[in-house]
Amino acid sequence: MNLRWYHFAAWGALIAAMLLMPRLVDLGLMGRGTLRTMIQACYLAMFAISWDVLSGRTGYISFGHPFLIGIGAYGTAILSKKFGVPVELSIPLAVLITMIGGLVVLLPALRIKGSYFALVTLAFMELMYQLVQVIRPDLTGGTRGLSGIKTLTRGAENGYMLAVSLMLAVALGCWLLMRTRFGTALWALGQNEEAVSGSGLSTIRLKAMAFLVSAFVAGLAGAFLVHYNGSLAPRAMFDINSVFTIIVAALIGGAGTILGPVLGAFFLTFLLEWLRPFLPGAERFLVYGAVALVLYMYQPKGIYAIIEGGLKRLWGRA
Amino acid sequence: MTQTFKLLLSASAAAVLATSAIADVKIGFIGSLSSDTGLSTLRGAEIAIEELNAAGGIMGGQKITMVTADTQEDVTEGIKAYEYLAETEEVDFIISGSIDDVSLGWLPRMQEYRIPTLDTWTSYIGIIDMVVEDPEGMAPYFMNIASDEALATLYISFGADVLKAKMGFESVVVLAEDTAFGGAITGLVTEALAPVAGIEVKDIITYDIGTVDFAPIFAKAEASGADFIYQVSSVNSQVVSSQYVKLQVPMAMTGVNVSALGMEYWEDTGGAGGGISTLSPVPSVGFELDPVSQGFVDTYQAKYDSRPVVPHFNGFNAYHGVKQAMAAAEAAGSFEAAAWAAEMEKQDLVLEKDGKLWLRYAFWGKDEVEEVTGRTYPHNARFDLTAPYEDAQPSMVVVQWNEDGSVGVVYPFEFATQDFTLPSWVPSK
Repeated sequence: MNLRWYHFAAWGALIAAMLLMPRLVDLGLMGRGTLRTMIQACYLAMFAISWDVLSGRTGYISFGHPFLIGIGAYGTAILSKKFGVPVELSIPLAVLITMIGGLVVLLPALRIKGSYFALVTLAFMELMYQLVQVIRPDLTGGTRGLSGIKTLTRGAENGYMLAVSLMLAVALGCWLLMRTRFGTALWALGQNEEAVSGSGLSTIRLKAMAFLVSAFVAGLAGAFLVHYNGSLAPRAMFDINSVFTIIVAALIGGAGTILGPVLGAFFLTFLLEWLRPFLPGAERFLVYGAVALVLYMYQPKGIYAIIEGGLKRLWGRA
Repeated sequence: MTQTFKLLLSASAAAVLATSAIADVKIGFIGSLSSDTGLSTLRGAEIAIEELNAAGGIMGGQKITMVTADTQEDVTEGIKAYEYLAETEEVDFIISGSIDDVSLGWLPRMQEYRIPTLDTWTSYIGIIDMVVEDPEGMAPYFMNIASDEALATLYISFGADVLKAKMGFESVVVLAEDTAFGGAITGLVTEALAPVAGIEVKDIITYDIGTVDFAPIFAKAEASGADFIYQVSSVNSQVVSSQYVKLQVPMAMTGVNVSALGMEYWEDTGGAGGGISTLSPVPSVGFELDPVSQGFVDTYQAKYDSRPVVPHFNGFNAYHGVKQAMAAAEAAGSFEAAAWAAEMEKQDLVLEKDGKLWLRYAFWGKDEVEEVTGRTYPHNARFDLTAPYEDAQPSMVVVQWNEDGSVGVVYPFEFATQDFTLPSWVPSK
């Protein structure tokens, strides 16, 4: 794994800083609304990590990630609301179903890649959007979705502690996983699939693992998000904008780095919220898009690379 | 010098204390800032606030301010917008111009923050059901538009009184967009058309909201053999209407066409919108106004010169609703949810025209049963489903656009300004 002391120090500092955020709000150093914004950022970060494990590493670009998120969200919402399954059980079951869904997405990846694979995943999302509206609308809530879903927390601080704990666990878990030989093999898969195959490794098994891990994270985050929001609407869940937000968060933060998508998610979410008082209408999305574009043009490897470069220069001078 | 400094310091301190003693009442607007319906609610609220402030403010002279949070008609943005208003802006009251899906998204936040909230556009009966099931949790919520169930119920009467009795229509083909709104209205109407109005539903055609060519869809509708088309369209409705007119579809088309609810409809269809009729909440385009509502429209038109040139029904709801919400806070002494809700339930504004009850802004009591539907509608706008509409205004009216660009009300008869007619290219049955 090649872990060094400064890795532990950096993760320790990050975890401590994130868990101490509510105290900064108590002290009046941050606004009351900050925690709510961070909760949204944490869930977007998990979705971006999930996308990054699959697409950032292996090069199989998914445009249909809400398909997996939706399975997790709908799974637990239906189980808990319609069948009275306790949330402690409905969430793990939903995650398990999502992982099976991940294997379904894997099937086309066994034969196609590149833009064809991206289009097929987009079709998966569209298919899911149509299915939840017409197949058993009594369960899915049809076009209107589901509301009155049990929420796990009340109050911004509780919601934040749950979301940030989940996000940190997911980020750390995926970061450690990507430092194993499995992570290296995934990266190699993205560079040259034939070479990996030629080296004797099973690319099918590697891809299956990547899809399963990605689906696990997507399902977990989707399930917890629906129990945070308390409602679920297919139009918002399977909207093309939600796919773009996830991909932009991963790319602008730094694809293939795990921490990059977290940085990207927080940057995008806070940028939009900071702009809100000054540009309450749709104009803020224009500014948001322009900032993202400029940043991406300045450093295509994302915010992670900018920070890494800055730190290296600092240490170099020291 | 020291004396002058002390004097200045004391005066400044006094000014600061005086300012903080009379804090502002802060209203939050949640809705789309780029749609005619969202802007109608926003502007209606703005005018009400200006008038209340000009009259000296509320609750001991407190001035009212408003902050906005755009939902983009997106559920997730709606949740973030509500959180922003509650936590960052710490508003006292929220006026909503949200569409159904978005309101459903932020409702759990309303239950958590318990901020008095008034919905002016959403008409989803499921939300009123939530008030029935959880009166305490939903106490801060009010909807001052008749619920979609009430709209559909009176529309069925239009089906029986006009489409069946007057026009002789026996069967219908439903042309509905693939949205939550489309699904809900279609369900309500199709369930009741046959048993109540005696009109057989031949087919239900669902189309994607991105559809640009309706020729094959209209061909399918014609092939169904039905006497008329029942349209359910809230997104890009002007496209369906204008193609219906341009293709000269030889069947009458009525139903719900949201674009036809505003005065911009004629311009949006390029003048190809005649003959279309639509269900509309009250007050609609073509609806005669009482003096108070007319005064509101005059103020509105003097203040705003961009679309919508006349506020949609929810603009009226916001104008009267904000005033009632502030009056409730004045009576309750605060915006504390339970106390405010108890006073809001008592609000009752009757607007008369020529000595007749014309519009009534009031809410159904908790245990009050509506006679036609046989159910309760707590915290829902009061409406009347039976002529001669002496208790409140009808839950909806049917308006029809004429081929010369004028528009009028065709049903209920007590509020009609013209008769329901077939477009010139449609043969009589």
